[in-house]
Amino acid sequence: MTMPADLRADVDEILLTEEVIEARVRELGRAISEDYRDRSLTLVSVLKGSLPFMADLMRAIDRPVRIDLMEVSSYGGTATESSGLVRILKDLSASIAGEDVLLVEDIIDTGLTLNYLIRYLRGKNPASLRICTLLDKPARRLVEIPVDYTGFTIEDRFVVGYGLDYGEFYRNLRFVGVLRPEVYSGQG
Amino acid sequence: MSGPGSTHPEEVPPTPPTPAFAHASEAELSRILDFYAVRWEYEPHVFPILWNTDGDVLESFAPDFYLPDLDLYVELTTLRQKLVRRKNRKLRRLRELYPGVRVKLLYARDFRALMLKYGRLALADELSGTPGQVTPDRPYGEMLAGPFGLAGVERGRTVDGPAVSGPPGSEPDRPDSDRAAAAPPRRRRRRSGRRTSVAARPEIAADAGPTER
Repeated sequence: MTMPADLRADVDEILLTEEVIEARVRELGRAISEDYRDRSLTLVSVLKGSLPFMADLMRAIDRPVRIDLMEVSSYGGTATESSGLVRILKDLSASIAGEDVLLVEDIIDTGLTLNYLIRYLRGKNPASLRICTLLDKPARRLVEIPVDYTGFTIEDRFVVGYGLDYGEFYRNLRFVGVLRPEVYSGQG
Repeated sequence: MSGPGSTHPEEVPPTPPTPAFAHASEAELSRILDFYAVRWEYEPHVFPILWNTDGDVLESFAPDFYLPDLDLYVELTTLRQKLVRRKNRKLRRLRELYPGVRVKLLYARDFRALMLKYGRLALADELSGTPGQVTPDRPYGEMLAGPFGLAGVERGRTVDGPAVSGPPGSEPDRPDSDRAAAAPPRRRRRRSGRRTSVAARPEIAADAGPTER
């Protein structure tokens, strides 16, 4: 896609303001701190979308935390190269064997990526593995996965901002908004 | 495992036969499932949903996919929303008769959203409704030459048997979906499944295309 001329103008509606997100992330941080009060925790963030959420969440947790980052490929290559398997583009930097791990996601919709990641991370023998997501879009779910910490459950709309992109743009919006359909249907 | 003298480091499981998908959107969904290492079978079961007084099956329903690891059936329809009433009725009947069977129905709007998520929205229209039908007159091979070049989508395969034309925006009736079937649910010939032994070994690559959001 071409570079957007005005990020905010492409947003139809602000779903979650910066203040609302901030308050909810603080609540999540408190809940996680309480649940892991006697343990250290490893936060694993999935690039790139969860980066802002991870940055805010880790600072809202007042327990000792380690952080690590993963990046996986997404379906959607060009028609001639779209076959194949999801790939780990960036693996964990350190072992999580015996660690309490919290997987930090930006959004869960179909659950396909998360399902894959859970299977992958369980293979690394963590002491525990829990899921924290900023956004949950249950209407899209194909794979049912219990989520331990959910920021917001949202309706089935295409959202951008606070890490979430369309065509790699809009991640730097400080809010979560609904993208105007004209933007992705090529009419804009 | 490799035996002595084997030229291959490990045995590669045979590639399961590729099913003849009735619709290009189904082929696309199968590739998404493959990508995320979710095992699937294509129309493995037929569920009778209507009988006559002699006990003969008058109507049955064969969901498009069965995901064995999730114990979930997935029915994909790219019919326009107003034309899905018949499919909704069949699904409702299936759920009444087989309450333990979990079925997820993906409508055209769901498929479109899926394509949007994966940056393939242009493909959604090409694969939806009538344009996405695979017929003897329009095999996948021909679709490859289309504006979105469906290379890799079950090249050159066609549906088994003649396609039935429907109204604009409709899908052909599945020859087997409404046909009388044996005792419920009938196990059909398994047509494909994911090679999980491959899927269980994630690769680390530097040039694997797009990444997660």
